[in-house]
Formats: sequence, structure tokens, C-alpha cells
Amino acid sequence: MAKTLTKTIQSRTDNLLEVREFVMHAARRFGFSEEESSKIVLAVDEACTNVIKHAYQNAPDRSIQIDITHDRETFQVSVIDEGKSFNPNSAKMPDLKQHLSTFRRGGLGVYLMRTLMDKVEYNYSPGKRNEVRLIKYLTPSNSAARG
Amino acid sequence: MRLKTKDVKGVTLIELKGNVMGGPDASSLNEELHKLIEGGKKNIVVDLGDVKFMNSSGLGMLIGALTTVRNAGGQLKLARASEKIESLLIVTKLITVFEHHEKVDEAIGSFK
Repeated sequence: MAKTLTKTIQSRTDNLLEVREFVMHAARRFGFSEEESSKIVLAVDEACTNVIKHAYQNAPDRSIQIDITHDRETFQVSVIDEGKSFNPNSAKMPDLKQHLSTFRRGGLGVYLMRTLMDKVEYNYSPGKRNEVRLIKYLTPSNSAARG
Repeated sequence: MRLKTKDVKGVTLIELKGNVMGGPDASSLNEELHKLIEGGKKNIVVDLGDVKFMNSSGLGMLIGALTTVRNAGGQLKLARASEKIESLLIVTKLITVFEHHEKVDEAIGSFK
């Protein structure tokens, strides 16, 4: 996987606007449609929000690194932190019908990440480095050049 | 997020603007809803037409708002969700929980 773009922010939700713009710009340049790029942006926002809330437990001065790598058809965003480990793939996918019938608020973030992206991978060294990889493949149906 | 409330034909219209991301925004909306309910205003339309971005915390905030209003015996409906936000409501199946109207007038008229 080549071509890496990197951004590092401090762990505050008011820095996520900068991340969203960074990812949107890269996804559009890579060739995704605006709609598809918005899905990637939202998945990355959810991953960063999880880091802020769970890995860093709302500490505002920790570091989150966002790396974007791609090859011809694969676009990957890595969200890297040094906080408490959390594997989103171990989170049970909620039964949405049941979940919503009880009007529960939480649990939608991981669901969204996994639904909006083609693949979500997780690598971690406990206490040292956690990495969530959000992967999306460019296809004729989600590219800006479709039609 | 900015929040503006007005009364239209006996229905309370809450206009949300900007980025809807839960957190402190959820508290402002919740406070506003409690004031409205105490004042006997329980028919509510949330106008999403000027919302630029919404994440799962923002969706959670709307679920919380719906619960608060329903528990008070009222109704809360959504209006003018952009294509992007509507697709988010579809993906999360929230479209089956909320009543959504394309136009604010339609949403207000639906209370009659």
C-alpha cells in the first residue's frame, strides 16, 4: 500500500472537523463520489470519537494519528492511538430492530463503521498502540466517474 | 449546533443547524424539550434542513428526544433531512422509528 497522508490531532471532538475535511478531500481526490466519501468521513469520525471517549476517556491532550494509504483500488484510513485497547470487531452487532424498540442511544457508532466501510481491521499492542483500519474499495458504482 | 424554536400553528418547530454530534448539544435539546413539555407543548417537529453533519451521537440525541417526548404523551417528527442524513436514518433503520416528512409544512400539517 503506497501513498501515505498523515494528520495528527489532540483528542478533542472540536478537532474532528479538521479530520473530516482531511478525509473528505483525500477520498474525493482518490475518486470516490461525494456520497461515498461522506460515508468514509462518518466512519472515521466514529472511530476518532471512540478513541476520545473510550481509549482516552475524554482526556483532551492525547494524540490521535490518522494515516491515509491507498493503491489503485483500495483506500485505507488508519486511526492510531496509545490509549486503552478496544476492539470494535469484538463488539456485538446490535439487533437494530430490538435495539431501537427500546430507544437505546449507544452502540450505533461501531455498527456504522462496519456498515459504511467494506472492511474494519484492528491491531493493537496493549498499552502501546491501537490501530483501527477502515478500508473501502473503489468500484464503478461508488466512484465519482460513474454514469 | 445551533437550535431555534418557534411556534407554527400550535406545533413547536425546532430548527437544528450545523453539526449535530450529541454531547453538550444533547443537553441543550433535552433542556429545551423539558421546558416545552412543562408548558404543555408536546407536538414537535425537528427541522434537519440546515444540518451539515450528523454522527451516531447526534442520532442518539434524536432517539433521546423522541423518548422524552413520547414518555410525556407527545409526538416528535422529523422534517427536511438531506439525502445524506436520510441515508443514515435508513442504514440504522431509524427511519422505521421516526416519522419523516420532506417538507416542514407537511410535518406540521400531519398533526391535524
